[in-house]
Amino acid sequence: MASAAAGSTAAVPFWRAAGMTYITYSNICASLLRSCLKEPYKSEAASREKVHFAISKWANGKPEKPSKTLSHSFFASFIVSCRAGL
Amino acid sequence: MAMAALRRGGRRFLLSPSLPNSFNTAEMAISSEEFGVFGARSISTQVVRNRMKSVKNIQKITKAMKMVAASKLRAVQNSTENSRGVWQPFTALLGDSRSVDVKKNVIICVTSDKGLCGGINSTSVKVSKAVAKFTSGPEKETKYVILGEKGKVQLVRDSKNNIELTISELQKNPLNYTQVAVLADDIIKNVQFDALRIVFNKFRSVVLFMPTVATILSPEAVEREAEAGGKLGELDSYEIEGGETKSEVLQNLSEFQFSCVLFNAVLENACSELGARMSAMDSSSRNAGEMLDRLTLSYNRTRQASITTELIEIISGASALEG
Repeated sequence: MASAAAGSTAAVPFWRAAGMTYITYSNICASLLRSCLKEPYKSEAASREKVHFAISKWANGKPEKPSKTLSHSFFASFIVSCRAGL
Repeated sequence: MAMAALRRGGRRFLLSPSLPNSFNTAEMAISSEEFGVFGARSISTQVVRNRMKSVKNIQKITKAMKMVAASKLRAVQNSTENSRGVWQPFTALLGDSRSVDVKKNVIICVTSDKGLCGGINSTSVKVSKAVAKFTSGPEKETKYVILGEKGKVQLVRDSKNNIELTISELQKNPLNYTQVAVLADDIIKNVQFDALRIVFNKFRSVVLFMPTVATILSPEAVEREAEAGGKLGELDSYEIEGGETKSEVLQNLSEFQFSCVLFNAVLENACSELGARMSAMDSSSRNAGEMLDRLTLSYNRTRQASITTELIEIISGASALEG
């Protein structure tokens, strides 16, 4: 069992190399699965992936920049970030 | 002239014992009124009436807030109880190593955005500070990540240099896993840590919350602990399926554990917040009711007193004419 060689055959190194964490990876999978649902359930599931919060980074006892607000559905943001990355 | 003085004196005599000492403001308002117009015929009850009206309005508002909190609580409580099944397997597998001694501690203090919910935010902050003291030491670093406005306001006062991230407006939409997962992802990417300690109020019942600390180790720390033995040492007895190496699996596991535990923590805290708001609003509407009773009593007594004075004046005037 050469674990290093075996590790390279799995999907993990690829999305790790893309700078994703397991959380992002599993969320993308979940989002794809939700998009496979049929209509009355689909929009209901879509309401469960709404993301909204305001985050601000602090340095030297002060908030560094005006806080950025995230507000979108998860999958849309994924597509946007993919386009920006590619 | 003497009559007027007598009347004023008499009124003061009638007024002061009728007002209980605990109710200073109304008493003061009335006595200032007394000095306002010299020789006025009757005592103005305007001030007390206005106050009664405002207390009644406040009572209406607090009652409404209680109802809103109660109806919100039901939905959140349901999802909170369901979310407990999400972290329990992780604790069964990895244990909760709260006594772990690492260099970089990050304390995630979960609080609410809104106030008027009793002491749950100060409890969170106090426990966070205690944990910070507990984990601090030479060559160690403790940083805060704060969820919610109220915790930020309290922690800025004395430990603003240790704040790393603040997050708010989490509860604009109903809480869902995706949202918390994106947040957890942001925290992992922006903060360096060996151990994360999530401080939140665990929901027991509408009136009972337990301040709770959940510890999540970084993958490296998990490996180190696993070598040291204990609960984490038992990880070796599991067979790993698929092609991933142990460190990869551990990293994935600890990331997923973090998002799951954070999800539960945020929900538990939201649930506790609503429960606390419910009981706080309940007691404040009861207080408003008591205040209203006292005000009504003093209002009626004052009214009665002025009627009595007028009667005495008329009768004594009549008898003076006769005699």
